[in-house]
Amino acid sequence: MTVTDQAIPLRSVQKMHVPVAPPKERQKMAVRRTWRRILTGFIGVLLAIAGWEIAAAIINDPITLPNVQDTAQAFWTYLFKEYPAQGNTLWQDILVSTGRILLGFSVGTLGGVLLGSVMAAVRVIRELVDPLIELTRPLPPLAFIPLFVVWFGIGETPKFVLILIGVIPVMTVATVSALDRVPQDYLNASRALGASHFHTLLFVRVRAALPAIITGMRLAMGLSWTSIVAVEMIAATSGVGFLILQAGNNLQMPLLFAGILTISLLGILLDGALRLLHRFADPSTR
Amino acid sequence: MAQSAPPAVELRGVRKTFRARRRSGNDTVALDSVDLTVPRGQFLCLLGPSGCGKSTLLNLLAGFIVADEGELLVDGAAVKGPGPERGVLFQSPTLFPWLTVRGNVHYGPRSRRELTREVRQQAEELLVTVGLGDFMDAYPHELSGGMRHRAAFARVLINKPRLLLMDEPFAALDAITRAAMQRFLLDLWQRERITIVFVTHDVEEATLLGDRVAIMESPGRTRASIDVNLARPRSFEDTETLEFVTLKRTIRRALEEGKAA
Repeated sequence: MTVTDQAIPLRSVQKMHVPVAPPKERQKMAVRRTWRRILTGFIGVLLAIAGWEIAAAIINDPITLPNVQDTAQAFWTYLFKEYPAQGNTLWQDILVSTGRILLGFSVGTLGGVLLGSVMAAVRVIRELVDPLIELTRPLPPLAFIPLFVVWFGIGETPKFVLILIGVIPVMTVATVSALDRVPQDYLNASRALGASHFHTLLFVRVRAALPAIITGMRLAMGLSWTSIVAVEMIAATSGVGFLILQAGNNLQMPLLFAGILTISLLGILLDGALRLLHRFADPSTR
Repeated sequence: MAQSAPPAVELRGVRKTFRARRRSGNDTVALDSVDLTVPRGQFLCLLGPSGCGKSTLLNLLAGFIVADEGELLVDGAAVKGPGPERGVLFQSPTLFPWLTVRGNVHYGPRSRRELTREVRQQAEELLVTVGLGDFMDAYPHELSGGMRHRAAFARVLINKPRLLLMDEPFAALDAITRAAMQRFLLDLWQRERITIVFVTHDVEEATLLGDRVAIMESPGRTRASIDVNLARPRSFEDTETLEFVTLKRTIRRALEEGKAA
């Protein structure tokens, strides 16, 4: 029924050249900017280390503040050598702490995303669960440590549960708000292009919410680290938190500092993984 | 084209009210018994002040909402939910930001499991036609406003719609880009002769683009229908002719009478 006349050219198109740099050029510019940012940040870190070294030299008391070399050496020495007061190498402690985090974090994220999705979809469940979340959210997970020690002892269970109750509310709230904020126009556009309800739900609503959900995961990851280090100091016989506590008890300041730096590095590593994931999920941040 | 073929769009006694948020508030009548017929291949502009129900009418035709009363027929068949044979263009391009331009154009066919080699080929040709040949693998945020709109056109046109529904699609664009998009749309319609229902509140836009301008008034009624008998193909130079200006004045007067009533 449509009359197609190929002879009429779209004259407007040729006149509509908008000065936008082609993608390749823009990419090159972006890469250059990224490298400059990394270099500047690196200089900042170097300055901080220099400041630490100078402060240590001025204070001149290794019990208050060990210098950079001693800390680095402690890190290197105990990476593959057991610390006698604790019975684990730093490397083993890293694995133990990371393992606890990853287990609690993955199960908690999965649970939070599922709960959040159901809340976003079913009004009754949202109204039912919302007050519960709001009631538990202001509680720092650390408040539960004594309770969980009584309930679950000092094995792996209290650590797992502690991370879980930190991660689940954060992920639930992040998921609900991410799904709520997907514009109705996206869903309408998808349906009008011929996609089914289910296809739209999965490939538009959930997909559009993904970047915000990953941002929620980054918050939850930070919270997990706080919880795990705290619980390892109170009720554990392994992990980086326990190592820091033991080093402090024995005034092994270089090792204590090495432990703190290890936590920072692990945190950066895991957060970096999530940031990478975010980049894949949201092209506009690339 | 057979004479007995049903019109592209037919509305009979369509009513739509939106329930008030608060219990004390009155329900809002968006459309009050609207009758409208759009012959095949016509470019119809729906013109009216904001809140007169023109967007509601479009959403009904698109199948996003359901009418309380009355009949809505597209190509003789009652509208039951959204479908790819009715292409919708929104005020913003609503491209999916996680897909490339090409991915966006593929979205419709892919979701219906119709993404064949031929369709991929057509998608490329279509993107070249709308002037995005060099930007097929760019993401929407890398494009300018006008380019995004053209990508949105391609995304809809790959479905070969028989009816295009447009809800103030160029309202958010700057004057220059907007003029370019209007020109683009005129050329496209000249070529494909798709039936178009185009919602706008801009009298000049309606006069320039439409075969016919249907004027709506609050709450939710069509008050007049004015044929635009200007020669085609039209261009921007035509907006300065006496004929054009006279017609524009007629339409504006009809619109203002509606507002006063």
